[in-house]
Amino acid sequence: MKISDVIIIGGGLAGLMAAAVAANRGQNVTLLTYGSGSLPLASGAIDFLNAKAPAVAIKNLPDNHPYKKIGMKNIDAAAKFFCEVTAQDNLPYNGKLSAQIPIVTAVGTLKYSCLVPESMDASNLINKKKIYVAGVKGLKDFYASMLVDNLKKYFPAKNFEVATLDLELLGGRDITCMGAARLLTGNEQILADGLKTLNATADDAIILPPILSLEDSNVKSQLRADVIETTCLPPSPPGIRLQRAFTKYLQRAGVKVFGNSKVIRGVVEDKKITGVVVKSVAREKIFYGKKIILATGGFYSGGLIMHEFDKPAEPIFNLPVFCRAGAENWSNEKLFDDKPQGFSMTGILTDENLNPVDASGKIIYENLHVVGANLGGVDFIHERSAGGVAISSAYKAAII
Amino acid sequence: MEKATVVIIGGGATGLGILRDLSMRGVKALLIEKKDLINGASSRYHGLLHSGGRYAVKDKEAARECIIENQILCKIGKGCVEPCGGMFTRLDIDDPAYEELWIKGCADSGIEATPITLDEAFKLEPRLSRKHVKSAYLVPDAAIDGFRMAWQLIDSSRRYGGRFKTYTEVIGFDTVNGELRGVKVRNQFTGETYEIGCDIVVNAAGGWAGFIGKLAGVEIGVQPDKGTLIAFNQRIVNHVVNRLHKSSDGDIFVPHGSITILGTSSMSIPDPEDTSTSRAEVENLLKIGEQTFENLRDFRILRAFAGSRPLYIPPGGASGRGASRGFAIIDHERDGLKGFFTIVGGKFTTFRLMAEKICDQICAKLNVTEKCRTAEEPIVPEVSQADKERARKFFPSYGTELAATRLGVERFKRVVERLESDVESRELICECENVTRAEVEEICKEDTIFNIDDVRRRTRIGMGTCQGNFCSFRATAVFADMGGNSMAKDSLVRLREFLQGRWKGIRPVLLGRTLRESEMTRSIYELSMNVTGGEPQ
Repeated sequence: MKISDVIIIGGGLAGLMAAAVAANRGQNVTLLTYGSGSLPLASGAIDFLNAKAPAVAIKNLPDNHPYKKIGMKNIDAAAKFFCEVTAQDNLPYNGKLSAQIPIVTAVGTLKYSCLVPESMDASNLINKKKIYVAGVKGLKDFYASMLVDNLKKYFPAKNFEVATLDLELLGGRDITCMGAARLLTGNEQILADGLKTLNATADDAIILPPILSLEDSNVKSQLRADVIETTCLPPSPPGIRLQRAFTKYLQRAGVKVFGNSKVIRGVVEDKKITGVVVKSVAREKIFYGKKIILATGGFYSGGLIMHEFDKPAEPIFNLPVFCRAGAENWSNEKLFDDKPQGFSMTGILTDENLNPVDASGKIIYENLHVVGANLGGVDFIHERSAGGVAISSAYKAAII
Repeated sequence: MEKATVVIIGGGATGLGILRDLSMRGVKALLIEKKDLINGASSRYHGLLHSGGRYAVKDKEAARECIIENQILCKIGKGCVEPCGGMFTRLDIDDPAYEELWIKGCADSGIEATPITLDEAFKLEPRLSRKHVKSAYLVPDAAIDGFRMAWQLIDSSRRYGGRFKTYTEVIGFDTVNGELRGVKVRNQFTGETYEIGCDIVVNAAGGWAGFIGKLAGVEIGVQPDKGTLIAFNQRIVNHVVNRLHKSSDGDIFVPHGSITILGTSSMSIPDPEDTSTSRAEVENLLKIGEQTFENLRDFRILRAFAGSRPLYIPPGGASGRGASRGFAIIDHERDGLKGFFTIVGGKFTTFRLMAEKICDQICAKLNVTEKCRTAEEPIVPEVSQADKERARKFFPSYGTELAATRLGVERFKRVVERLESDVESRELICECENVTRAEVEEICKEDTIFNIDDVRRRTRIGMGTCQGNFCSFRATAVFADMGGNSMAKDSLVRLREFLQGRWKGIRPVLLGRTLRESEMTRSIYELSMNVTGGEPQ
C-alpha cells in the first residue's frame, strides 16, 4: 500500500498551488482532479483584497478572516512562490501586495489586482500618447467600440483608434478568445505581422483581446508599442495559461496527477482521514495519504452543494458547513451590491491550521486542511480576495 | 396635436388584439403602453392555451369561450402555438366526486375529454407519480408563446395602419362637458408631456385598469391578483398536465420548447407593479407540484416570476379564486364620461374574443360597419418554406421555426440574407436559445428598443440555461453599436440593469445548480469585467 505524504483533492488554483508548494518541499504528492477547475473562468490575475494597499488592509481584517489565520508571512511567501512558478513557464506576473495594478476589462472598465500577468498590465497606459484597440475579424466576444467608449472615461484626453485585423485563420463562426488563442499557439507570427501594420510607436499602446499564444508568446518583443491584453468571457486564455504553467511545474516536480477522479468519501480512522475513495467506471479506488488537503471549491465547482434551502453540504467528508440561513440573509436584492452576498459566504470554518471545525470550534479531522473557495464566512467575490485566499491558504496548508 | 380616432391604453394581449381588430376595420388606432409591450400578465403567466377544461365545473361560459378561441388561435396563430395537448390527472388525495362533475362540465361545454388508462398516462408522461395518480384524461390544451403572439399582433396591426408607442405613460385625460377629447401622456425617458387627441379611449390596462379609471374619474372594480410561477430548465412534461380538482395553486405544468413552467398561485395585491416572488412561494409551488411529479426537485429551476391577473369584481362579487375568469366591457357613458371604455378580466386564451366584442361596440359608436375579421385571417403571413430552407444552413431546425415566427416574413428574410452574406453575423449571441448576431442586430436597429430587456423579449436572449451569463455582454455591445438612441451608448448601465432583471427571478430559487450559475455571473461581471467600475477602497 502506497501512502502519499499529501493528497490534494481539487485541480483549481488552490489545489494546484498546494501541490506545487508541497512538491517543492520534497514531499510525495498525489493530486486528484475532476473537471477543469475554476481557472478557465478566472481573469488570470490574482486579486488579494479590495484595498489600495492590500498588505496593510489585510492586517486590519477581523481575526476570524482566513487571511488572519494564514498570517502575513505566509501570504507574502505564497505570492513570491506563485511568481516563481509562473516565471519558470515564461509567464511572468507583475505586482506586489502593497499596491494594485490596473487591467483593461472586456467592457472597457479598469479592474485592479495585485498580481497581474505581464501581458495584461495596463499601468503604463496613462503615459501613452495613442491607444490602438485591435479587434480580430470573426472573433466573437471582443467589441472594440464599446470598449473604447467606456475606456475613454478613464483617459478622456487620449487619442484612441479602433483597428480590425484580418488574420484569416479565424474564418469560421463562433471563435471565442480561447479558440483564437489556441489557433495562434505555435502560429503567432500572423498576429505579430498584423499588429505591425498599425505602425504603433514606443509612445503608443495596443489593446487586444487575450489571444496571444498559450505558451511562450513573443509578439510583444516584436513590437515597439506596449501590447496589452484585456480580460474576456470564459473560457479565459490567461486562466488557462496559469493552469498550464502549474501543471507543467507539477510534472517536473514529480507530482502524481490523476484526472477524472471524483472523490466520493474519505476513509476515516478516529479523528483522521487515512485515505480517500475515488469512483471510476468499474470500481472504487482508495488513495492513502498522511495529510489531506480539500480544495474542491465552492458552489461553482461542486465543493459545496445545496439541494434544499438552508441545508448546504460538503459532499465528500460531510463537514459542517457555515451558512447564512433564511431568505433575507441568503442574497441581496441587488446583484451588484456594496455588501457581501450571503450565499457566497457559505463554506467550511477552520482553525488557525485550516483544520475544519464544528460550531463549537472543535477540530473534526486533524490531518484534513481546507483551502480556497471551500472556506466559509467570507464573500471572496465581494472582497476581491478569491485568488489571494486560494494561493495563500494552499501555501499554508502545504507547509503545515 | 397628434391625433387618432381611438387610443388604446395597455400593451398586453388585450390591447394588441384591439389594435389589430380596429386597424383591420379601418379605424385609426394608437396604442400606448407605459413600459414595453407584453410586459404585464400577458407574458408573466404559464403560457397555457386553455382547452377550457380548467373552467368546466365552475364557469361553463368561460370554458366554452376557451375551447372556441383555442381552436381559432391554433389556426390564425399556429406559429406561436405548440400543439402539445393536455392531460388532466386526478390524484388519490383529490375528490372523486369532482371528477364526475368535471366530465359532465366538459361535455356540456363542448370540450373533448378522452379517458385513458393509467398505463397509457404513464407512457405519455413517464414522470407522473405512480403512487398518487388515479385517473387521467386527454384534452386539447396547448402551449402558447405570449411574446411571439404579441410581435405578430403588432406586425399585423402595423400592416393595417395601426400605431403604438411604448414607454409612454398616461397622466390624465382631456374632457369637455363629460365628453372625452384626448389623452395626456408622458414620455418615460425624456419626461416630455403632450396630448393625443381622440374620440374614444379604451382602457385595456389589465391590473392597472383601476388606476387609469381613477385618472378619468370613474370607479372600476378590478383586483390585481398576483400569480407566481417557476420555470424549470428541462422539459419535464410532454403535455400540459393539470390536476383534476377544484382549481388551486401549483396545479398546472406547461411545456415550452426546452423548459417547463409550473404555476400558479393566487394572491390579491394592492399594487399590480408588484411582481416580486419569494422563497416561500416557490416552496409552496414545489410542495404541491411534487404531489403530481415526485422527483420535481431533481430538476434545475431557472427562475421564478409573477404577474397580476386583472380580476373583475362587479359590485358585491367574489375575489381571488372565487372571482370569475370571464371578462367585462364597461361603457363609461353610464358614469357620465362619453367616449371612455374599459375592458377588464378575461385571460390570454380569450384575448381575441374580448377584442372583437369591444371593437363591435366601438365601431357601432363610430358608425363603422366593417365586420370583425380577426378570427379568419392568419395573424401574419407564414414565412416561406424556401426562406426557412435557406435559414436551416445556419440554424438548427428548432431555431429556424422559432426565429421565423418571432421575426415575421420581412425581418426573417433580411436576417437570412445577412447570414448568407456576412460570416460574422452568424455568431451565436445566445447559445442557449440559438439567437444569431444577425437577428440581434436586426432587432437592435428598431426604434422601439431602449434596453436589453426589450431585446430579450423580442429575441429570447437571456431566457435560457445561462440566464444571461454570456449573452448579456454580447447583446449590450451589439445594442451599443446598432441602437439608434442615446440609451444604447450607456452600455454599462444597460448591462447592469439587464443582469439585475435576471437576478430578480433567480433570487427566490437560488439553490442547487442555480447557485453555480450565479457564482459564475458574479465571477464574470464583478471580477473579470468590473461592470460597476469600482476602484480599490
